[in-house]
Amino acid sequence: MTERALRQRAATPSPPLALDARRASRATLIILLAPALLLYAAFMVYPVLRTFWNSVHTIKPNNVPAFVGLDNFRALLGHDWVFWKAVGNTAIFAIFATIADVLGGLLLALALFSRVPFARFLRVVWFTPVLMSYVVVGIIWVWIYDYDWGLANVILRAVGLGGFEQSWLGDPRTALWSVMVTHIWKWLGFNMIIFLAALYALPVDVLGAAELDNCGWFAKLIHIIIPMLKPTILNLTVLSFVGKMMIFDLVWIMTGGGPLWSTETVSTYVYKRAFDWNTFDLGYPSAIAVLWFLIILVFIFALTQIMRQRERLEF
Amino acid sequence: MITWRLAAPLAFAIGLGWVAAPGAHADDVTINVWTHEADEDAKVAFRELAAKNLEAAHPGVHVKITWYEKNPLLAALKTALPAGQGPDVLYVEPDWTEYVEAGYLAPLDDLIDWNNIETWARAVWMFNGKTYGVPQEAYTNEIYYNKDLLKKLGVELPANAQFTQSQFLDLVKKAKAAGITPIAQGVGDRPFPGAYILGEALLRKLGKDDYRKLWTGSLSFEDPRVVDVFKWTKELVDAGAYPKNFMTLKLGESHYYFYTKPGALMLPMGSWYTGRAFVPEDKGGQPKDFPLGVMQYPAMDGGACNQCKTSAVGASFAINSASKHKDIAAEFINAMSTPEMGKRWIETVYLQTGIKADVKSFSGPYAAYFTELMERQKGADYFIGGPRDLTRGECKDSFAQVMNSAFPGGLLSVDQAIKMMNTACFKG
Repeated sequence: MTERALRQRAATPSPPLALDARRASRATLIILLAPALLLYAAFMVYPVLRTFWNSVHTIKPNNVPAFVGLDNFRALLGHDWVFWKAVGNTAIFAIFATIADVLGGLLLALALFSRVPFARFLRVVWFTPVLMSYVVVGIIWVWIYDYDWGLANVILRAVGLGGFEQSWLGDPRTALWSVMVTHIWKWLGFNMIIFLAALYALPVDVLGAAELDNCGWFAKLIHIIIPMLKPTILNLTVLSFVGKMMIFDLVWIMTGGGPLWSTETVSTYVYKRAFDWNTFDLGYPSAIAVLWFLIILVFIFALTQIMRQRERLEF
Repeated sequence: MITWRLAAPLAFAIGLGWVAAPGAHADDVTINVWTHEADEDAKVAFRELAAKNLEAAHPGVHVKITWYEKNPLLAALKTALPAGQGPDVLYVEPDWTEYVEAGYLAPLDDLIDWNNIETWARAVWMFNGKTYGVPQEAYTNEIYYNKDLLKKLGVELPANAQFTQSQFLDLVKKAKAAGITPIAQGVGDRPFPGAYILGEALLRKLGKDDYRKLWTGSLSFEDPRVVDVFKWTKELVDAGAYPKNFMTLKLGESHYYFYTKPGALMLPMGSWYTGRAFVPEDKGGQPKDFPLGVMQYPAMDGGACNQCKTSAVGASFAINSASKHKDIAAEFINAMSTPEMGKRWIETVYLQTGIKADVKSFSGPYAAYFTELMERQKGADYFIGGPRDLTRGECKDSFAQVMNSAFPGGLLSVDQAIKMMNTACFKG
C-alpha cells in the first residue's frame, strides 16, 4: 500500500465498529418488521378499529349495517340495568381481588424469604395453580363448592360448622366472593414469585446494616423492605387491577354470570349480548366494549400518574 | 441456499405432485359439516354413516365432519358466517332465528326431498314461506321416574300416567320425608332444565294459545292463572323438590344423580334423555336393570289443556348461503333423512325424529322404554316449541336467570319472579 493510500484511509472517518455491525439497511428493517407489524395490524389494530366502528352502527336483517350515532351508548347508559350491575360486580372484583392478590402474594413471598420449613416444597405448591388453565381451575372449584359433596361443605360439617354450609355458587350473596377466592387462589403464586425475585434483589448491605443496628424483623419489614419494594407493589397492583377489570374466563366457567346476574361482569355481559342474544348485531356489545375500554384507559392513566409522582414505574 | 432457479422447478414439481396425488379426481368436492353432539356416540355414528353412504354413492365427493360442543360451535359460526366463511352444512336449532334473519342460511325448498320429512317438523323451520332447516331430532318433554322408588313410597301411578297438581305436591313431600330427592334437576350448565315443571304447568293451565301469548309478550305474567302456577311451583320448591346443589348441578350430572348416585325419584327432561342414559354404564349411562318409567307432567286444577304437551325440534341441519356446493350439501342432508335412516335413528338413538320413519314395533334392549314413551304420546295435544324458541334478548335471558334458575332455586318469591318476568317479557 502506498503512503498516499494510507494517508487517504486515515483521513476517512470510520464509524465505530459495534455501531457498524448493528446498522441494517432500510429494506432489511422493513423485511424484519413487516411480519410482526402485519400480525399486529390484523389482530390488534383492525379489531379495535372495527369495534369502534361497530359501536356506532347496528346490523339490520340481511347483514345491512346502519349508522346510529351514539344511540347504543345512550341505551347503555340510560336503560340497561344489567350493565350497571355488571359494572358494580366488576368494580368489587377488581378492587378486592387486587388487594388480596397483592397482599397475599407479598405475605407468601415473605414467608419463603424468611425460610419457613419446607420452603422449596411450598414454593412449588403455591405456584402450581398459576400453571393450570382457567377451565381446570374452574371445574375443580365448582366441585369444591358443591353443596352436597363439595370439599368446602364437607369440611364445615366435619368440624361441626354444618350450620354455615352454603350453596356457595348458587346464592347471590356468596357467588361473587366464591369466584373471587378461586381467582385469588390461582394468581397468588404469580405475585409471590415476582415479590420473591424482588426480595432477593434487595441490597444485602442495607438489610445487614439494619440487623447490626438491632432492627427487629417487623421494623425491618415496615421501614426497609416494603419501601424498597414499592415499585414492585405498584406495578403488580396496576397489572392485577387491569386484568381483573377484564375478568371473563373463570366467571364464565363457574357461574355464567348467575345466579340472578350476581356474578355478571362487563366481559361476560359483552359476550352474552354478542353471542347469546339471538342476534348478529355487534353494535350494542361493541358499544359496551368501547365504553369499558375507555374507562380502563382512564384508570390506567390515573394510576400511572399517581405512581409517577411517587416512584418510577418498572414496566 | 435455494435459489429462484432451483425453487421454481421445485414448486412446480410439488404442485404437480399435489395435482397428481393418487386417488384424486378432477371433480373432487369436499363438503364441510360443522355439528354439535360430539359426546353422543349414537348420533356421531348416525351422521358418520350418512357421510359414508353419500361418499359411496357419489365417488369424488368427500364429507368432512367437524365435531363441536354447542358453545364453541356457536362462537365459531358467529365469527365465520359474517366473514363469508364457515361450513357448507351446519348444525342449527330452531331458536337460532338470527341466522335466517341475517341471510346466512340458504332456502332449502327446492334442494331437499321434503317427502321424507314430517310436515309439522318442517313447519318449525318455515319463515316467510321459505324453509331454512331440516329437522332431524324431535323430542317431547317427559318426566322420567324410578318405578321402584315410587312403589317404595306406596304411590301408584294413575292409569293415564298423570297426577293432579295436589297429588304431585304430596308425592314430592312423601319422597322428601322418606329421604329421597324428589326431582334430580340442575341448572349448572344449561339455561332451561330448571323451568321444565313450571313451563309445562303453564302450558296445561293456559292452553296453547295463551301459552304462546305469554312468551310472545301479549299476555301478562300477572294473569291470575300464571300467578297460580307460580304459587304451586313455589310450594314444590319449599317442599324441597329440588336437590340442594340444584344451582351447580350440570345436565349430565343430573342424569347420573337420578339413576345412580345418590338416586332420585324423578327427572323432568326432554326425551333426548336417552342420549346420555342409554350408553354403557362405565360411560355414565343408567344401570342395565334400572326401573325406568315415564309419566306425564301433572294436570293443573282448571287447566285449559291438561292433555297438552311440549314437542319440539332439536338438532337440525341447514346449508350456508355462501356455500359453493349447495346441491351436494343438500345431498348430504338428504342422505341423513331417508326413511331407512329415520328408522335407524329411532332404533339406535332411541329418540323421536322429524324424518318420516315407518317403525311399527321396537326391538332391542330398550324396546320396552320406547313402547312406554309412545304410550305417553297417545291423546297428546302438542305445542310445538319451547319458551327458548319463542323468546329473545332480555326475555330469554330473564327466563334463564329467573324461571330456570333463581325461582326453582328458592331465591325469589312469587311476586319477585312474576315482576321480573313481566318487566322483561310483557309488551302490553
